[in-house]
Order: sequence, then structure tokens, then C-alpha cells
Amino acid sequence: MEKDARPNWDSPMQFVLACVSYAVGLGNVWRFPYLCQMHGGGGFLIPYFIMLLVEGVPLFYMELAIGQKMRLGSIGAWTAISPYLGGVGLASVVTSLYLCLYYNIINAWSFWYLFHSFQSVLPWAVCPINANRTAPIEECERASPTQYFFYRETLNISSTIEENGGIHTGQALCFLLTWVITYLCVVRGVQSTGKVVYFTATFPYVVLFIYLIRGFTLHGAVNGVKYMFTPKMNQLANPTTWINAATQIFFSLGLGFGSLIAFSSYNQYNNNFERQAITVSLINSGTSIFASIVTFAIYGFKATINYENCLERTRILLLNTFNLAEDTINMDNVFEWIEKLNATYAEQFNEIANDTGNCDLEKELATAVEGPGLAFIVYSEAITNMPLSQLWSVLYFVMLLLLGVGSMLGNITAIITPLQDFKAASLFLAGLVCLFCLLLGLGFTTTSGNYWFTIFNDYGATFSLLFIVLIEVITVSYIYGIKRFEKDIEDMLGHRPNWYWKIMWVAISPLLLIVLFVFYIVNYIMGGTPTYQAWDKEEGKSVLTEYPVFGQVFIALLLVSSVSCVPLTALYVFCRKRKHGKAHKQQHALNAVSA
Amino acid sequence: MLDKILFLLCLASALADERCMPDTPHGFQVRLSIKTALGDEAYVWNENEMFLFRASLAFAMRNHMNGQQFEVSNIIVCNETMRVSFWFIVTSPLDTSQLIDQENVEAAIRQSRNRINSAFLLTDKTLEFVDILPTLATLYTHPTPPWLIVFGVVMGAVSAGIIIMLVSSVVQKKRKTNRKPQDEDDDEETRVKTVENGDAHDGIHNMSFSEDERFTKM
Repeated sequence: MEKDARPNWDSPMQFVLACVSYAVGLGNVWRFPYLCQMHGGGGFLIPYFIMLLVEGVPLFYMELAIGQKMRLGSIGAWTAISPYLGGVGLASVVTSLYLCLYYNIINAWSFWYLFHSFQSVLPWAVCPINANRTAPIEECERASPTQYFFYRETLNISSTIEENGGIHTGQALCFLLTWVITYLCVVRGVQSTGKVVYFTATFPYVVLFIYLIRGFTLHGAVNGVKYMFTPKMNQLANPTTWINAATQIFFSLGLGFGSLIAFSSYNQYNNNFERQAITVSLINSGTSIFASIVTFAIYGFKATINYENCLERTRILLLNTFNLAEDTINMDNVFEWIEKLNATYAEQFNEIANDTGNCDLEKELATAVEGPGLAFIVYSEAITNMPLSQLWSVLYFVMLLLLGVGSMLGNITAIITPLQDFKAASLFLAGLVCLFCLLLGLGFTTTSGNYWFTIFNDYGATFSLLFIVLIEVITVSYIYGIKRFEKDIEDMLGHRPNWYWKIMWVAISPLLLIVLFVFYIVNYIMGGTPTYQAWDKEEGKSVLTEYPVFGQVFIALLLVSSVSCVPLTALYVFCRKRKHGKAHKQQHALNAVSA
Repeated sequence: MLDKILFLLCLASALADERCMPDTPHGFQVRLSIKTALGDEAYVWNENEMFLFRASLAFAMRNHMNGQQFEVSNIIVCNETMRVSFWFIVTSPLDTSQLIDQENVEAAIRQSRNRINSAFLLTDKTLEFVDILPTLATLYTHPTPPWLIVFGVVMGAVSAGIIIMLVSSVVQKKRKTNRKPQDEDDDEETRVKTVENGDAHDGIHNMSFSEDERFTKM
């Protein structure tokens, strides 16, 4: 009898919910709507779904199969498949570690905003007053209250990556809280994770649904949704559209981190993961589309509000300059009046000509934002304009938290599971990992922390994942052998995989991954010096700045450190086998001599 | 009708005082946005409202410059427009040929801004004194920031959860180790029993019924 029987999920439903909770993350909310907007609205769904069928589902299926068959974390699983390629598992763990370091800072921001929502006036709705009590603080006036709250009060950001101040204590406290919660969710392994995912996987949908209803009843929301869904088919001819669709599917499903292998290693041997793989992938894509409908309703609302504010400002300006009675110009005839006044009082009009006539709804709608900027600046701005904004704010940031924590659970499990396979399960292993990530991650709460965060976000996981999954699919198809893999699946499921899956694993997916890989490298080289958006305090906006030398070196280190695990481990195993081989030969020789 | 009244007023005030003019260095421009502020309940701007304005300004001047008895006649208004904007200057009550300088007028208005606003049911934004910056009200600063309170609550709850989990897992382990010595005792007893039983039934093995294949087959 096994002393330490591998823990299992209480039910297949827990496993599915864990995968959904992991895959559905912040990227569905803040990356997909941006891509949709950039690449022709409704038309983007075509390359998106094609990539899902061709690349997403087959690779997802493959990772689940490996985990369930090997019943080990990523390092153990890959070592079992091919001893020389155990480095793939190690690379996965290293990449997961990088992600764990920086991802929780986003949850810390969500907590910060959530806690600040319990005030009568949301702090990002109005600019704080300066010391003289004559006007709002300058930085806030030049930017906007939401930007000021994010960059100054939340991050206290410095002007470049070289400058560093101290740790922002509020941030550090929220960061500590997120790690304590993460620890609480993984302290008992699958027993605790399995219960938590019931909540983290389902509640975001409740919030999204509520926001859908709220979004559609907002003034001007329909403008945004119409803008998004009008397909601009000419974008389909652009190769970048297809590349972005493939990349989005790839990263959205969370392939290559080892989390899927870790999760499925806790499955029963005969669990029907084929159906689950298809279900989870479809749910993930469906959520992306659902979230972007909500996002575009909010965009439409925000754009309409900005447009109407612009019209109002122009109206007041016209009234004041030409001393007309208040009710002569209203919102509908501002443009007519501009023309009239330009014709009759040309001179006077020229003085104010710069400030008039630039209110454009299309332009407001076309400002697309992605990443933390969308979640923490654009959305919070929209929320301040809704009635009962505290309630909407709380709901929204709780949703962001659940999405973020759900993804974190997957990545922490991806680190802990392989480590647990190696040594006896320690009650404190999870705690040690969390403590380690907490201490290192405190660096992201410093004043230049956001710039380091951007480095990790852009370079920590992107290139390495492409490399890892490429090696994975080639290993399974050619080194391990597709026939052996087929037999394993038949052993688990009771039937062989369809010819469709086999073609994808052997030919199409590796090809696609190579194309993505090459594109990524070409982009990186052609892009010149990597740049980042630095916040300029005086101007009140972000400025494109180049990374200093140590920044570029660090980026290179990040990229190389995870990728190099594969060849280094292969080399190490090769050397050890040769030593063993030599020792064996010596032993045999001795035996032969002595016998 | 309104236009005629306004025109006469302008004329009257213009005839009265040439020192009052747009961009005068001694006065300020005022702009009212009554319809924006009050919408349907907006009142019509007429000479009575203007009288109220002059009276409230005289009140502000009296408040600021103690002792001097400003009257409505000391506030001179000119250049009224349809926007409802106009310029005004203030003369000294002791000597009408002297004008009160801008700084004193500004200080007086600043001091009594609230009272002037409420006389007209308007706010700092809708009753605009051009070039006089309103003193903005600071938001109420709490002694303990509210976010810290919520943080404390959540942190306390989560820490309690962790302690409960750890304690319960330690307790479970202790229970298991307590049960194990008991289980081992039970095993020993059963083994002893079987051995005893085996001895009791260990009779002479009857070879004829055994299917021993050591003997060669015939």
C-alpha cells in the first residue's frame, strides 16, 4: 500500500472549474477587447476561432493528457517522457516563478482600489486640492483624476526606471494580504484549492452579467458596441491580425506554465479529459467575447460622456466669448453656431479657434487601451460616472481580484507540485514558496516598481512559453512518438484520439508555433531598443523612453534564464549518463576479472 | 421689452460713470449662468436682481472694510449683456471720486463669497467673478483612512482562517498518530490468535488427499 497516495480532486467538476478559473484571467478582460478593436471588430473573431481550433484546443488537450498519464508535476512528467528533456519541466517552473513574482502585484492594486471604494466620494473621481486651496494639484489637472490616483497615489511612480524611492507602505500591505490569501488557498493542496475554485470560477461571471445589464442601460453604450461589432474585413488581410489571434489564444489558455499538467496530475486515471479540454477552451474564448461586449458598452458610455463634456465646454466657451444668452446654444446646435460665428465674427473666433471644433465621438471611441491602464484607469473613470458608483466599484474590483487569484492558484500549483514530487511533502513547502515570492515581489511596490513590472509582464513569460510549448509538442509527437501517445490516451479514455488531433499535434501546431516564434524574434530585433512608457510628472502623461543598459541586460537575462534550462538539463543528464555508463563498465570489468 | 430696459440701464450707468468699462483696472467682470444652475426653476434677470447684486456686494464691502458704510450707490455696474455678464467698480463711500482698489474688492468678495452665492441660489462655478479664484473646499480627511480599516478587517479574517487551518491539520495528525499505536496493538492480537488457531488445527497431513505433483504422473 502506498504511504502517500496522490491527492485527488473531489470530483471532475472541481478539476474543470480549476482549469476555467486558471485560464479565465485578466487577459480575457484587458487584452482581448483591445485586439478586437485594433483588428477590425467583429471580423477578428474569424482568425480567433480558427486559431482556437487549430492551436488552442489541441495543445490544451495534449498538456492535460500528459499530466493525467504521468501523474507527476511538470519536471517529473517530462523527465519520465524523455530523460534528456526534463529541462522543459524545469523551464516551465522557472517561468511560473517569474509570473508568480509579478502577477500578485496586480491583485494588490485591485485590493487597494477595492478598499478605497468604501468612501462617500471615490478618491479617483475628484482631484485633491493643493496647499493654497486655490486649485486642484497641478499634476492632477494636467492628467485626469483617475490617472493621478493610479500613478501618484497608488504607485507613487518615479519618472524613470533608474530613479528609485522607497517602498509604498499601502501597496506593500495589500501585497502582503494577497500572498496570505494565496497561501490560504493552496495550504492544503488540492483539498483547499478545489473548494476555492468553486467561487473564483463562477463569481466573475455573475459580476460580468450584472455589468452587462448595467452597461447596456448606460447612456451611449450602444455606440461602443456598434463600433466594436462593425466588422472591418480588410484587417483580415493583415498578417499581424492572424499572429495576434494565435498569440492571444496561446497565452489566454495558459499553456506551457506547467499548471495544466499539475492540475491534471491529480485526476483519476480514467477521467475523460478530452471533453473537458474542449469545454474549458470554449468557455475561455466565450468569456473573452462576453467580457469585450461589456468592455465596449463601457467604452461607448465613457466616449459619449467625454464627447458631451467636450461639447459642453465648447458651448460655454462660445457663450462667454460672444456674450450670448444662455439658451441660444444647446448641445444639438453647437456645430451650427460654430459655423455661424466663424462667418460673422471671424476675428474674434480665430482667437478661440483652437479650442473649438475638436469634439469627435469617433475619435473618443477609437482610443483603445489595454493592460492595467484599461482595468484601473479607463474602467474606474467610467465607474465614477455611474450612479451608486461605490457599489459598482466594489463589484468590479472583487471580480478583478477573483480573476487574478484564480490564475495565481494555477501558477503556484505549477511550482509546488513538481517540488512536492521530489521530496517528502512538507507542510511548509507552500509557505516557503509564498514567502520567497513575497519578499522578492516587494521590489515591485517601490516607486520604480511599475517599470520593473512592465519588464516582467512583457518579457518574463512570452518568449519562453512559445519555446517551451514548441519543444513540448515536438517531444510528444516525435521523440516520445505519436503512436505511444495515442496508446496512452486509449489506455486512459478507452478510445484513440481522432485523426484531427493527430494531424494537429504532428504537423499544424508545431508549424504554427514556429511561425509565431520566428515572428516574435524578428519583431524583437526589428523593434530596436526596447522602450517603455514612463510617467512624466510635469506633462501629466506617459512618455516613450528607452530602457537603460541594465534594463536591457535584465531583459536578456530573463529570456535566457528560462529557455536555457532545456539545453543545460539535457547536457547535465548526458554527462551523468556517461559517468554512470563509465562506472558500470568499470564495475563489469572488475566483476569479469574477479569471476 | 427686456432689451429696452437693459439698454436704458446701460445708458444710465454709462452716463453716470465713465470709469466703469470693460477691462477696467479697478473692477471685475461677473458672469452668471442661471439657466445652467437652476434649469426650469431659473428666474429672469431683471433690474431687481441687479439691485440685489449691488446690495450684496455692498454688504461684502462693509464686512471687509470695517466702519465704512457702503451703499448700493457705491457699486457701479456697466456693460450688461444677454449672457448675463457685466462689469462693476466700487467707489468709496467717503469720496465718490475715489475707487476702491482691486485687492480690497477681491478680498471682500472672497470673504463673503458663500453669502453672495446663496443670495442668488448659485455656486462658485455659476456665479463667476472672472479672475477671482474660488477658495476650494478641501475634502474631509478622516483621522484613520477608511481603507486601512477595511484592510484590517480582511487581513484579520484571512489570518484567522490560516491559523484555523494549520491548527486543524496539526490536530488531525495527532489523532492519526494516536490511532496508529491502537491499530498496531489490534494487529498483534489477531496475529497471535491465528497462530494459536493454526497450532490447534495443525494435525497430521493426510497425504492421500493431497494433489502433490512432485510424484510423477503415471
